[in-house]
Amino acid sequence: MTSEQKFLSVGGAGIEYLVGGSGPPLVWLHGVEGNLGWLRMHEELARTHTVYVPTHPGYAGSERPPWLETFLDLSRFYLWILQELRLPHAIVAGHFIGGWLAAEIAVMSPSIVSKLLLIDAAGVRPREGEITDIFLHGSEGSRRLSFFDPKQVADYELLFGSKGGPDAREAHIINREATTRYCWKPYMHDPSLAPLLERLASVPTMLIWGREDRIVPIECGELYRKAIPGARLEAIERCGHFPHLEKPAEFMRATAAFLTGDRRE
Amino acid sequence: MFIMRFTERPYVAYSEDDVRKSFRSSVRLTFSNTHFDPKLGADLYNQYLDEYEFSEEVGFDGLMLNEHHNTPTCMGATMNLEAAILARMTKKPKIVLLGNPLPIFENPIRLAEELAEIDMISRGRLVSGFVRGTGIESWATNTNPVHNRERFEEAHDLIIKTWTTPGPFRWEGKHYQFRVVNPLQTPLQKPHPPIWIPGVGSPETLEWCARHHYPYIYLETDPQVTVSMTDLYSKAAAEIGYQPGPQNFGYLWRIHVQDTDAKAIEVGKGFLTGNAGIGRVPLPGDFMAPAGYNSREGSKRLLEQYKHALRPDPLYGGVDSAGWDAVVESNRIVVGSPKTVIKKIRQGLKVFRPGILGVWSNDGTIGHKDTMRCLQLMKEEVLPAIREIGKELELPGPFEQAP
Repeated sequence: MTSEQKFLSVGGAGIEYLVGGSGPPLVWLHGVEGNLGWLRMHEELARTHTVYVPTHPGYAGSERPPWLETFLDLSRFYLWILQELRLPHAIVAGHFIGGWLAAEIAVMSPSIVSKLLLIDAAGVRPREGEITDIFLHGSEGSRRLSFFDPKQVADYELLFGSKGGPDAREAHIINREATTRYCWKPYMHDPSLAPLLERLASVPTMLIWGREDRIVPIECGELYRKAIPGARLEAIERCGHFPHLEKPAEFMRATAAFLTGDRRE
Repeated sequence: MFIMRFTERPYVAYSEDDVRKSFRSSVRLTFSNTHFDPKLGADLYNQYLDEYEFSEEVGFDGLMLNEHHNTPTCMGATMNLEAAILARMTKKPKIVLLGNPLPIFENPIRLAEELAEIDMISRGRLVSGFVRGTGIESWATNTNPVHNRERFEEAHDLIIKTWTTPGPFRWEGKHYQFRVVNPLQTPLQKPHPPIWIPGVGSPETLEWCARHHYPYIYLETDPQVTVSMTDLYSKAAAEIGYQPGPQNFGYLWRIHVQDTDAKAIEVGKGFLTGNAGIGRVPLPGDFMAPAGYNSREGSKRLLEQYKHALRPDPLYGGVDSAGWDAVVESNRIVVGSPKTVIKKIRQGLKVFRPGILGVWSNDGTIGHKDTMRCLQLMKEEVLPAIREIGKELELPGPFEQAP
């Protein structure tokens, strides 16, 4: 099974996405690292779902309409992207800022989200801890904080290694700039998201967190769980900020029933 | 020739170890303010103001100030306060602010008011420079670096309009919105105080300056790069139909003079701890230039244009790491007896041809006593000689010939 790379024009901006698999649609929203391509995890999900992996506007591969400046702009624009993808009712999954994005999309338009899967998601401000300032720590520093043990990531060098060529470096700069634009202030959260999460009572929601996430503390997962009626939080042990990469088997096990089942988990 | 005096007003009572132990070993931004003693700060602010007051007697045409945040390398965190004090303390020299970091101001109207007050208190002696600020300024004020240039340009346009258009008027911009712009205080100088822009060579800024006829002040840039940058400015000026001259350019230079070469070389070493801080520990690159601070296009053009000439930032690597002897040898920092210094300055002025010379007389660990001796020698020998050289090389300043 493979994926296809496709392009879509939305509001004059060229949006890149990968699509593969078959079954009910599932949209995967990437984190600050940008679109790393069709990952093993996508391949796994594609056994049971038609998986869409769009590149966010402004990240390497997709254009940003010149007016699109804030995280709220990005979220509203995504409703348009989903409309152009003809996905009126899809599972929306996302990691870190992708999870934040998924939550914003869901509170704006709950009916288009069949299920919501948030993985180590930003978006709500923790009360006890802090979301680590990845800009202040720098690329190297935040990468070090991202994993419980990088050796657990099968494709670590490929995905996060420093040996990338000029294209990879250029992509890294573009992605970092996009994250800066959308997430600098307020840093990695939207003060008005948390009060709106109660609106998601009708949306089956699952939260997956690396127990040892040093970027977004699991406290944020707890806050999401408490705010979204019926949401379930599952922590993956000995795992950092990227459960889908660091503990892929556990990640698939934890989400399988939720993603394929008819009933809310 | 317009000659102004400058120092960053450093605070040096900390150790290299303090820097290394700070978050990401940075002397700026995250270097803890627990290393700062306000009692010493009180002495230093007054000492630096005394030195500026004496600079009028030395005969400088301008007193130059700058502004930085979260750093011991420059105590001027709110430069306009120092400027206001100098406006009242001195009578003749221009007060040259290079410059207010526009993007970090949420309310540029307040800035327009402050500057207008300084211009009135000084009876029309303000030169109002504007800068984008380093990345540290964006960090320290939590201003999104991605919008740095947009905010710089919009705040500039708003301030100029505030100074030149009868109020009240309304401003609905992308980054700034004000429904009743009508500050009572307008500058004494009409249409507004001169605007000079200092920098290290963003091509966008050079072209923007050329379009506005604003003098560009090179901050001790590499000689070869400086010449290329002047070409870039000149091309942009030619496009709108004028030929820039020395009055359109300034050069800031670290220049320290003592009675003998040997003494000056010894004391001048203190410069190396200015700006880069005690221990000269390199700053994290993303502190000075966070993602989006420089346009990708601009960065590429800059690299392309100057790839043969561009060296590591002289303030943090390059010049300093080349060793003090090499720095002195190459005249990137000018130190010596009056005779030596005059000779070296003459060589530089021939190459750069600036109408404005910024004399960065002391910094880092160069103390008050040595600074005062340096200024005294400048008064007696160096400044009169530079004025003659300026005449001989035909280097008019912006107050002699309109830029």
